[in-house]
Amino acid sequence: MTFSSQVALGLLIAATVLTVVRAVRPSSSIGDRAVAFDMMTAVIQCGLFVGAVVIGDGILIDVALVLGLLGFLTSVTVARFLERTNP
Amino acid sequence: MSAVLDVLTAVLFVVGALLAVVASVGLHRLDDTRSRMHAATKPGTLGVLCCAIGAALQVGSTSLVTKLLVAAALQLVTAPVGAHMLSRALTRRDEQRPPATP
Repeated sequence: MTFSSQVALGLLIAATVLTVVRAVRPSSSIGDRAVAFDMMTAVIQCGLFVGAVVIGDGILIDVALVLGLLGFLTSVTVARFLERTNP
Repeated sequence: MSAVLDVLTAVLFVVGALLAVVASVGLHRLDDTRSRMHAATKPGTLGVLCCAIGAALQVGSTSLVTKLLVAAALQLVTAPVGAHMLSRALTRRDEQRPPATP
């Protein structure tokens, strides 16, 4: 149980790093960045759920709840910005 | 009973983390924004759901389980809406772009 939680946390950290690399890579377009940040919030949410079990504190679940709302807000804002600006 | 829940939680956590890793590799390997969006959707819904259910099996209190389920349901509702708005904006942007002159 503890071992698998640590394995899951390591995998989630690796996934977050890969996603951030995708987002900040100079060759990626703004759509790629928006998709990558949307996925990054979801992966961090998974990490917060696992971390809440590992450290046994329920406050991380609240953090994950708010982070999910913020991720949705971010992708909607970027989508509206993309729709209003000319290419 | 507790051992069964532990094993179930371990499997759910590792499955969610593996989905995240596969999708983040897909973000680098796939060569279109829509294809990358297709890869990024998997941890956004199933990964979060796996990790939330796995955590809900371990936390002992009802309020925390409710919060976890609310977070998972919220993610299930908002992830398709956000992806749809983003892809619609990208498609309209591509349509508005003037065609390349040969």
